[in-house]
Amino acid sequence: MSHWVVEGLETDLDHFHLGPVDLDLVPGSAIAVLGTSGAGKTTLLRTLAGFLRTRRGRILRDGVDISGWAPEDRALGYVPQGLGLLPHRTVAGNIRYPMELRNRPGAGRRTQELLDRFRLVPLAHRYPARLSAGEQQRVAIARALAADPGMIVWDEPWQALDVIARYELGLVLHELRETDRVPMVVVTHDPSLAFSIADSFVVLHEGRVRKQCDAATLLRAPSDPFAARFVGYENVYEPDALAGGAVGSLRAWLRERAGPEGIAFTCPGLPTGPAGTPLWEGTVRSARPGPPGLAVEVVSDELLVTLRVPPPLTPPLPTLGGRIRFGIDASTLQPLGSSYRPGVGT
Amino acid sequence: MNRGATNAPSSPPRRRWRTGPLWLTLQLVLSGSLLLLFILPVVALFTYAPISHLFEAASISQVRAALWLTFFASGIAVLAAVVFGIPMGYLLARRAFRGRTVVESLVALPVVVPHLLVGLGLFFLVIPGTPLYRFTQSIGFPVYDTIWGVVLVMVFVSAPYTVLASELSFRAVDGRVLEAARSLGAGSATVFLTVTFPLALRGVVAGLILSWARAVSEIGGLLILAYAVYPGGPYNGPVTSTISVYIYNLFQNGNLADAAAVASLFLIIAFVLFLVVRLGERSGWLPWRRGELAP
Repeated sequence: MSHWVVEGLETDLDHFHLGPVDLDLVPGSAIAVLGTSGAGKTTLLRTLAGFLRTRRGRILRDGVDISGWAPEDRALGYVPQGLGLLPHRTVAGNIRYPMELRNRPGAGRRTQELLDRFRLVPLAHRYPARLSAGEQQRVAIARALAADPGMIVWDEPWQALDVIARYELGLVLHELRETDRVPMVVVTHDPSLAFSIADSFVVLHEGRVRKQCDAATLLRAPSDPFAARFVGYENVYEPDALAGGAVGSLRAWLRERAGPEGIAFTCPGLPTGPAGTPLWEGTVRSARPGPPGLAVEVVSDELLVTLRVPPPLTPPLPTLGGRIRFGIDASTLQPLGSSYRPGVGT
Repeated sequence: MNRGATNAPSSPPRRRWRTGPLWLTLQLVLSGSLLLLFILPVVALFTYAPISHLFEAASISQVRAALWLTFFASGIAVLAAVVFGIPMGYLLARRAFRGRTVVESLVALPVVVPHLLVGLGLFFLVIPGTPLYRFTQSIGFPVYDTIWGVVLVMVFVSAPYTVLASELSFRAVDGRVLEAARSLGAGSATVFLTVTFPLALRGVVAGLILSWARAVSEIGGLLILAYAVYPGGPYNGPVTSTISVYIYNLFQNGNLADAAAVASLFLIIAFVLFLVVRLGERSGWLPWRRGELAP
């Protein structure tokens, strides 16, 4: 397996500028690329795959700069959104395709192995349009492997999958990492997938790298609203949402503690925070199971706040439209913004 | 009783008219009328002259020559559409360039102008004294009143259908599939041959069928550029014309029964040819249905 290093990669697509991006992928490692739509995730992958010209920087495979190479020479398994299966070829035909291109001896046997491994044998003669989303994903993986890629580059592999198919594909991707040791770059919106297979994260925003770190750092200090939502903060407020609000109000209280890009927190308890924290009052908008206990949405001072009510659930439970008092533990607040460093903010 | 239930009707609302059957009848009547309009003239054509007349017409050497000329020339026109039209469709579909809209409009021009104009334009282009006249003479492809003139007119009026249909089908091929194929190791030419073209083939063939139909039925341009066709090139029969011009001639001279007979003969042959292609397309012995999506 190859060792990939991306150095200061920059590219332009119409009026969009991406980069610089730096990546380091040793065999068996995986990077998750995160970001809102339009952040440049697909642009990054298509540049790696060779469909967009590299403006600046290098893509090194085992020390060789391949940034000027044609896509077909890069030995890089690019799986686009929608998977890009060949609709006029059967499952077996799709898997055989990259080997046919290389006139690889033993293509039949290898195809059979891959069909076997990805439980596609009964589907071998079907066309992609007749497969479920999960089956199509497996075909795409098998086909990518058939090309003996030095790296796999996935664009949003999780689109339109049911829960079980997601779980199974998580296992497959894990196996690719562990057994095949293929380095992977994965674009995804799915936190559970990202955290289960990726060892490092790149958060893109408007074409720039916002944050680049390992999983623990992303969890501990998400640093921007997108990352905060991604890692599971239920209450994320950007500065706009905190504007207004009189002195002594919830918004003012949060604003004092927010970073330049806002603030995030998860409200662990009800009805009170630690002694000395102010209590806020709000109207219950919804209450749903949030195991364990309840997740209660409350509107307070024009903010929608999600509270966690832990078990045991003792009456009276929050009722819709009812008033409720809650406190926020100031130590759980996570200020957001690039100037913030863990342990430095207040 | 909860309050919400009082709003819901207890039975389906009664209507004075059940509109379902009426609606269906309307559709049947309207489409049936159109179908009748297509069929009746054909029936009239076939019943005007006795069947024996049809066989007689088929035995006349000039008629045979006209039929051969028409199908041969239209075949070459389709070949030209394959060679020149498909690449142009691909170019228009895959490349963004300045003035593409202008080019697309120019391609559609032969579809929208009266074909008499086409013939007139070509006529002025190749009459004696023009450079093109000298050129076509020198390379042995004289155009005026020859089979090459017929082919020229047919290409002019029929190729746009192939260009437009292939442009649409090439454009419909998902670019991400092509990128996936390239990433798997296929160069751009290989991607075209193994992915793009097979996926676009159905639409391209539909365009070719339209082109052929258009070429066979051409008359306007031929009336001017190749009213009579003299032997030369691949054609060495008697002086004749394409079947459309031939029938027009019979009609002009008052030979109504002959006109009807020759027209019927032509219709039968054209219809059978068309049917064979269509059936082939349906049955799947032509390759372009493979891997087609459900149903």
